[in-house]
Amino acid sequence: MRQIQQMLADQVYIADAGIATALYLSMALGKPLLVEGPAGVGKTEIAKALANAVDTKLIRLQCYEGLDATTALYEWNYPKQLLHLKLEESSSASEAEKEAAIFGEAFLLKRPLLQAITEHERAPVLLIDEIDRSDEEFEAFLLEVLSDFQVTIPEIGTIKATHRPHVVLTSNRSRDLSDALRRRCLYHWIDYPSLEKELEIVRAKVPAVGKVLSQRLTRVMQATRTMGLSKIPGVAETLDWANALVALQATELNDEIMAETIGCFLKDEADIATFKATQVTD
Amino acid sequence: MEIENLVAFCRALRERGLSVTPPEVVAAATVLQVIDTSDRDEVFLSLRSVLTTSVDDFPVFGELFETFWNRSPRKLVERDSGTTVRARNVSQPKGLAFFLENWSASVRAGAEAVKVPGASDIDSRAQKVFADFSHEELEQISQLARRIVRRLASKPSRRWQPVARGHRVNLRRSLRLSLKTGGELIDLAYKRRRAKRTKLVVICDVSGSMDMYSRLLLQFVYGLQNSFAKVESFVFATSLSRITGELKNKTYRRALDRLASNVHGWSGGTRIGASLANFNVQWLRRIDKRTVIIILSDGWDTGEPEQLAQALSKLKERAGRLVWLNPLLSNSSYQPLTRGMQAALPFINVFAPAHDLASLRALEPHLVL
Repeated sequence: MRQIQQMLADQVYIADAGIATALYLSMALGKPLLVEGPAGVGKTEIAKALANAVDTKLIRLQCYEGLDATTALYEWNYPKQLLHLKLEESSSASEAEKEAAIFGEAFLLKRPLLQAITEHERAPVLLIDEIDRSDEEFEAFLLEVLSDFQVTIPEIGTIKATHRPHVVLTSNRSRDLSDALRRRCLYHWIDYPSLEKELEIVRAKVPAVGKVLSQRLTRVMQATRTMGLSKIPGVAETLDWANALVALQATELNDEIMAETIGCFLKDEADIATFKATQVTD
Repeated sequence: MEIENLVAFCRALRERGLSVTPPEVVAAATVLQVIDTSDRDEVFLSLRSVLTTSVDDFPVFGELFETFWNRSPRKLVERDSGTTVRARNVSQPKGLAFFLENWSASVRAGAEAVKVPGASDIDSRAQKVFADFSHEELEQISQLARRIVRRLASKPSRRWQPVARGHRVNLRRSLRLSLKTGGELIDLAYKRRRAKRTKLVVICDVSGSMDMYSRLLLQFVYGLQNSFAKVESFVFATSLSRITGELKNKTYRRALDRLASNVHGWSGGTRIGASLANFNVQWLRRIDKRTVIIILSDGWDTGEPEQLAQALSKLKERAGRLVWLNPLLSNSSYQPLTRGMQAALPFINVFAPAHDLASLRALEPHLVL
């Protein structure tokens, strides 16, 4: 586990013991890992860092409402099939031969899930991002794929995974996931980081921001999260802000710099007003 | 942690409502084999990732882990049965079902003195307040709910479904069909957009002044929810509770029982603004332009009207439509003058009465976006 933590640290991902344990178990048991947490705390980054750490491909499936099997799994390349049939029109091949030809792998468009299953070299990391945005039908379908890691294409047959992919699912909790899916996964919750951890993250990701400044800006961010804003800024916003400060060559957080860069971490007018009001009373 | 200990631990978790089934227990046992079981933190984190399915489970898990870590198996079995009994006793507070029983009993006993403006003119069957509803009439409410649900399912979604005749060619199917005729496309298959359901969020005031109406609306919501619509339901008096899960039950009686055991703060004062603000924090992300929000309340808010206005403006921004049902509105002399109601009015799309079956029927067109 320490090893995993170190491996992630090499990818500039500051993992605490919880994340490292969850990843370790996910690999040891071959179970998918479901990561939940507020927006911008690095849920997606976990999968990226993991893929880099074990030096394998990252296959990402971004979920959205209306996502269905043809966009997630596979689809036939119809134009190519039609073209092929037209070209073959005059040939003497029988109907069966023609059919076999156009329903071969060459005419198959592999979507992320099928890609992950047919990855030959080594087990890829399959990131199923924002699963809560897809609808229940897709979740049920996913359940089937995740339990067997095999896919049946009527025209070709059953394709079984050569290497079981490491699966990471992320969710923002915008809707309840089904119990069945939850039970099939290991669970991990990422919360907003503590001051120390956030500081560590900022210093690792944006080393150019100085020691003093990083300390100050993380403090501001930590305070911001307790103000009861409508859009609480995540770590991603902290990093954006740190980068902005570096780009502006700021050395301290004065009012002017704050006013210029507040848009990096507060994206709502009412929130900005609240922030300013709170600051004055500080 | 030994295996007996682990099993007992899992059982205790199950008692406290976590979804821990035998496969999870097996997984947990497997986990203990691949980790360093002398490291308390490692065991804690590992078991937590296997045995919980949501961050809401964390407190219970933490609490029980504390008691089970370092416990000898035998002692545990004895203690375990004890905690079980206690847990059951605790989870039976007096709640809605209890209250409703009493309330309807008092009405039946002729206590019509409950002066409610909306219910004053009882001349037709449809104008009766809910308490006296017969089985038949409950069935009518359910029918109404079903009809509304059907109408809600009328927006096109991004998904396709095959149809016999349509405007868009279903290429996949057509190609498949063409194989019959040697690759020549003769018979075309079609597809069309699937219908998309409107989502409904019902936020129901169950404070003292609203008791009888909220019961009517809850019945209605129950009907909606059991017709496979996407309905989320909440109740509030001083604080907000989500009751979607409680209403997903086979019978209304059982649903009420579950509600009663899970919801606290029935029939106290009303803090509409705070409750809605709380709703925004927790649930606003589920609201989109295809969501109709129904708030049932008489607008008697003991909190600050500014808070209510702010919460409603946020809701309005996200939602497709905001419907406020106020049972008092059925009284022709009623004026929405309470501070809460005044603050709320600018944000409401539909302001309508809801005190009987007829008014619910009139609500139907407003629910379709």
